Amino acid sequence: MTAVDNTPVGAGSAGPDRGTSAPSHRAAPTRRRRPPTALLGVAGLVGLLVLVQILPSTPLVSSRYLPPATEILAALVELLGDGAFWSALGDTLTGWAIGLAVAVTAGIVLGVLIGSVPALRAVTASTIEFLRPIPSVALIPLAVLLYGTGLESTLLLVVYAAFWQVLVQVLYGVQDVDPVADETARSYGLGRWARIRHVIWPTSLPYVMTGVRLAAAVALVLAITAELVIGAPGLGNRIAVAQTSGAVDLMYALVVVTGLLGVGINLIARAVERRALSWHQSMRGEVIV
Amino acid sequence: MRRPLVALTLAAALLVTAACGSDSSTDEAGGTDDVTDVTVGIIPIVDVAPIYLGEEKGFFAKRGINLTMESGQGGAAIVPGVVSEQFQFGFSNVTSLLTAQTRDVPVQIVANGVASTGNPDADFGGVVVREDSPIQTAADLAGKKVAVNTLKNIGDTSVRESVRKAGGNPDDIEFVEMAFPQMPAAVENGDVDAAWMVEPSLAIAKDAGGRVVAWNFVDTAPNLTVAVYFTSTKLAQENPELVERFQEAMAESLSYANAHPDEVRTVLRSYTDIDQAILDAMTLPLWPAEINRASIERVAELGLADGVFESEPDLDALLP
Repeated sequence: MTAVDNTPVGAGSAGPDRGTSAPSHRAAPTRRRRPPTALLGVAGLVGLLVLVQILPSTPLVSSRYLPPATEILAALVELLGDGAFWSALGDTLTGWAIGLAVAVTAGIVLGVLIGSVPALRAVTASTIEFLRPIPSVALIPLAVLLYGTGLESTLLLVVYAAFWQVLVQVLYGVQDVDPVADETARSYGLGRWARIRHVIWPTSLPYVMTGVRLAAAVALVLAITAELVIGAPGLGNRIAVAQTSGAVDLMYALVVVTGLLGVGINLIARAVERRALSWHQSMRGEVIV
Repeated sequence: MRRPLVALTLAAALLVTAACGSDSSTDEAGGTDDVTDVTVGIIPIVDVAPIYLGEEKGFFAKRGINLTMESGQGGAAIVPGVVSEQFQFGFSNVTSLLTAQTRDVPVQIVANGVASTGNPDADFGGVVVREDSPIQTAADLAGKKVAVNTLKNIGDTSVRESVRKAGGNPDDIEFVEMAFPQMPAAVENGDVDAAWMVEPSLAIAKDAGGRVVAWNFVDTAPNLTVAVYFTSTKLAQENPELVERFQEAMAESLSYANAHPDEVRTVLRSYTDIDQAILDAMTLPLWPAEINRASIERVAELGLADGVFESEPDLDALLP
């Protein structure tokens, strides 16, 4: 309720590892420790590149099937100048973004609805537990039958996989509401909508964020899988064509692109999550105390 | 190419009633002056070069067909896609369609797709072994581990026939399933004793020192029809005029591709990523305008003997 203006108050006690925006004299030691971690990350990447560079010249793998890193990177550079590549990347990101948006919206709305009505929760529990573990890829024949090989098929798989990630997290989040806070809100005469807005939503937010982060990664995996298997336009389809053509360097270059996409999506999701969570922790600190 | 899709075709047959209710596609069946949007489900491989070439040359446009190619990987999506009318036509190997026919999946062949060269020295598909392999002839494949792209399909049937013709015993060959692009590496690493592959994997394997010990298409039937274009029985009945236009355009495209191998190699660069050196080294298949019915009868016969089909395929119902 008074959550908006209390960020600095809670910051000292709530966020031991979130010192990025904290006073600078405190941040000094952590800043000194940080370069090594970043360096280690870079070193790991360089190590991987060196390994991929050396491996093909050993008898372990033939360079025919695993080209050295320099050749993969050369193919990658060539890709960047190819218009068809950018439109494939666009197709993949479109499928990912629309699918994720639908899944997150549906997951949050249904999660809050089901979670806050005990009867609904009881009725749907077993159905959710039955539907959730069905692998999205198992729905490929159905998707093709209903929507052919276009964007809709990709969306079906992406939404199905990402939706459960969000829904289940939201359900846990809603369940986690502090009964005292809820009772207090009731005794202050807050209506259902106000309680959702000021009690349930802030409590579920960290769960929602976890769900969104997981869903973002799963959505990318499924978008590319759908393109690879069904042949819907996008990076996955390009990988499949490169593979059937025996263009090994191009195929690995595309695989590298999907990896970079995954890293990018994860970084953004984490940044968003960190913001939302720091706000929430201070909020929760105050409510519990 | 060629997955049998037993499960998928079954799913298709079961769900087709559900899917039929949905929308569009049977649209303005009008006169030849109208332009009809036609979607063809294909696999982006060498075999379908004529349809790309034909589109480029305007063979479809001049018959009022506005062509869109939907490329499904491995063809898994094509039979269900055609049955549910997402695609008006599809590309599939003959054995998969024969299997579908014996399972009452409502499909019908409309045009030739691709055929073996019939040349016992150079075809677009063959069985490859490693350079230093003790296997010298098809007969030596007996009892060996041989990779095919799909079990219970044209690969194992035709390889068995090669072994039989060479005087070997095909009964104890161990067939394993593997995608074509993986085969050159599997042969070179010795994971399998031999692999049946088609272009461009065949050229890649030969480039890596592989040796062809059998031309299984050539051994199966003279000028074997390997794959064809097909449609749903429903569309064939409701819109025979569209089918006819497609057949004419396909026939012209196939003949053109057969006569212009250089243009085929050029058009291949538009929808595949095949390396130029491999592209030049590849053996192109034949693209006759007519389906070789005798060869399909032979495939049906061999497949029935090998237990690929549960009942005898009805060729009169399947062929145009």
